[in-house]
Amino acid sequence: MDNTKENKSFFRFAPLVLFVVFIFTFCILFLVMPKSDYSSTEKRKLEQFPKFSAETLFSGEFTENFETYLADQFFGRNFWKGLNSYYNLCIGNNGADRVYNGNDGYLINVPVEEKESRVQSNINTVAKFSKSIDVPVTVEIVPSTGYIMNDKLPLNHFNYNDNVYFNQIIDVCRNNNIEFIDLREAFKQIANDGTQLYYKTDHHWTTGGAYVGYEHLCKKWGITPTNKDSFNIDTYNDFYGTTYSTSGFWFTKPDTIQIWNNPENTEKNITVDIVEGDTQETYHSMYFLNHLEEDDKYPIFLDGNHPVEYITNTNVKSGRLLIIKDSFSHCFAPFTADNFNSVTLVDLRYYKGSVSEIVKEEKFDKVLVLYGIDNFATDTDLAWLK
Amino acid sequence: MVFSSIIFLFMYLPFVLLIYYIVPRKFRNLFLFIVNLIFYGWGEPIFVLLMLFSTAVDYTHGYFINKYRANKRKAKGFLISSVVINLSLLGFFKYAGFLANTLNVLPFVNLPVLTIPLPIGISFYTFQTMSYSIDVYRGDAPVQKNIITFGTYVALFPQLIAGPIVRYKDVAYQLDHRRETLDQVTHGVKLFMVGLGKKVLIANQMGAMWDAIRETGQANGVLGSWIGIAAYTFQIYFDFSGYSDMACGLGNMFGFEFLKNFNYPYISKTITEFWRRWHISLSTWFREYVYIPLGGNRKGVKRQIFNLLVVWFLTGFWHGAAYNFILWGLYYGIILIIEKFILLKWLEKLPSAIRHIYTLFIVMIGWTLFYFEDMGQLASYLYCMFDFTQGIIGQKALSITISYLPLFIAAALASTPLGAKLYEKIKYNGFVWLPETAYCAVVLILCTASLVNQSYNPFLYFRF
Repeated sequence: MDNTKENKSFFRFAPLVLFVVFIFTFCILFLVMPKSDYSSTEKRKLEQFPKFSAETLFSGEFTENFETYLADQFFGRNFWKGLNSYYNLCIGNNGADRVYNGNDGYLINVPVEEKESRVQSNINTVAKFSKSIDVPVTVEIVPSTGYIMNDKLPLNHFNYNDNVYFNQIIDVCRNNNIEFIDLREAFKQIANDGTQLYYKTDHHWTTGGAYVGYEHLCKKWGITPTNKDSFNIDTYNDFYGTTYSTSGFWFTKPDTIQIWNNPENTEKNITVDIVEGDTQETYHSMYFLNHLEEDDKYPIFLDGNHPVEYITNTNVKSGRLLIIKDSFSHCFAPFTADNFNSVTLVDLRYYKGSVSEIVKEEKFDKVLVLYGIDNFATDTDLAWLK
Repeated sequence: MVFSSIIFLFMYLPFVLLIYYIVPRKFRNLFLFIVNLIFYGWGEPIFVLLMLFSTAVDYTHGYFINKYRANKRKAKGFLISSVVINLSLLGFFKYAGFLANTLNVLPFVNLPVLTIPLPIGISFYTFQTMSYSIDVYRGDAPVQKNIITFGTYVALFPQLIAGPIVRYKDVAYQLDHRRETLDQVTHGVKLFMVGLGKKVLIANQMGAMWDAIRETGQANGVLGSWIGIAAYTFQIYFDFSGYSDMACGLGNMFGFEFLKNFNYPYISKTITEFWRRWHISLSTWFREYVYIPLGGNRKGVKRQIFNLLVVWFLTGFWHGAAYNFILWGLYYGIILIIEKFILLKWLEKLPSAIRHIYTLFIVMIGWTLFYFEDMGQLASYLYCMFDFTQGIIGQKALSITISYLPLFIAAALASTPLGAKLYEKIKYNGFVWLPETAYCAVVLILCTASLVNQSYNPFLYFRF
């Protein structure tokens, strides 16, 4: 207890020095470092210096955006985000930013709460739509990763409500003569046997998972699926998906992503037309390998999100299919191209026109509504279906 | 602007500290005056005018109260005018909508309900400026001749938006004569880090826990509902006391010493003790400027009970323009009256464990009243806290509790003086700087991570 000694030591200022050095260093680093437009790890655009005017200042818009700009462009953002996520894990949380940190490197979105669920209104919209057209409608919904891969979830987690949602959908489908493809039991069994149906770092199903969905669809429709063994499978490494990007668990191992090539499909028989606004571009492959260079590799299937896409396979003489879909269809639709001469994909998140008009013009044989359950339960754009 | 933000920590504070210590002493108040306005105007620039108006009005009133000191009537007239203007400002911005809504319930009354955003911190600074006029009138503090210095006091950014409510007489001398020392600044940094840690690492997480549990409603079960309100109990204490610590710490960094605002309220054994430890600057203000002038306990028991009810009605109403805050204030008023005249004698004979449980029970019911502005929601949450038919704890509430359990326990420990006692033991050790610096480093790094990630970081005092 040497009082005088304590008072003389320069070290007593250490907390002050640390504090001053820390806040000034990061202040200066922020000011001098170049700013980036895009975060490839988080897969999102970063906030840029906000527009300054008397109007934006007095409305509070400038100051609010400025604070987001600071956070987005803060020096070492990835480090801080990762640290925050792993710190949350250390103090007993089961994940971060609404993503569970599961076993075996599974990063799984938390369940959609029943309160937030729009399943009932969305399936009602689909039923109403099916009545307005004279083509049979089939609904196929992909169960959530957390529901199927239950054993990969952290011990402490919220319940997945897939059963509630599926029952709501089944009820409406039954009453409206809509075919429904229930993948729950098949997926549970196949997952148990060790097939990877879902990505670990992404919310989508794998190409293998999509193939199971395709098999069940064919069974329902009485058509023959392309044999599993006839595909040439290309596997690509280092795929980091969306749950990885939002969670900040940067030490998670990457996924592999597969393309199942049917050797009979070449640039001679396959055409892909992508409509974006007033422009339409034509390609001769369903796979866009240029996206392999990016962190987000999922757009290798059909080039990712677009309002409307047409796949034409001249090897198949007839059959016209319409898929009303979210991104789960991107790796799925190429399989259906083996059975239909033309497959049209409409994404209601980007397409705001009338779908029944398209149905009238194009004379489809089948209409498929294909969504992942989480999207189907939260989607607000299905309301546009008419 | 709030303290627990990137913009404050890594932009505002470095620049303000740097320039403050560069400019000559005689310009430091002027500099603080200017940056106070930037701090205040960030987000809602228009209210800077209100701040300037407040400053000018109270400066002028102080001047005349002092000038007519010999003429009691005139001085009193200016005092009353000052109090009326301050309360009118508060009334207009904070209570107009509430009063209009209340009166509109009556038949044939149809007042327009103004939706004016509440200027942040208005409840704090109008109370401070009133304390100035009253202190000058009573001769408790000298008049401030320099309007810049006075403006520095009114808008002093460390305590501007969430207290503590600094009475003018407590800082009158410091405003003109403070001498910043490195030891004081170092102490300020340490205090600031304690406050930042309380706010970002504990309060925000407890707030997220409370939000998650509250949403589940009935399905929480009895224990789940109590754990929920316990999480809120922790959130509000660590948020508010964290803010006060940061305010005192920042004050130190600029050479000011503010009085302590919280003193481990949750270890209290009676509600009377709780209110001596909770938001001390507010209780002091009401005691000094309302309760004692009303006659306090000097005019008989009946009058004392009346005075207490008035003070607690106002204390409740001060926290927000809604019925639940009034209810919350009167709830405490009545309990304090019961304690004073009946219960304290009995409580003293009980084992201290039971007294702690009694106090925490009252406090947690109190926070339930405080949280729910909607009477329907309030009633249904209170019902859940005593409804044993819904089971002990729901699946979701259990999952949330397990997730936050380590922090929940940490919050419980940090609500006691345990840490302070340990620190007391090593305080004079030559190596105390090591754990101190390590603590500051950990808090700085974890808080930065949380803020950069833009995690849940609510500002609780927008109603105050």
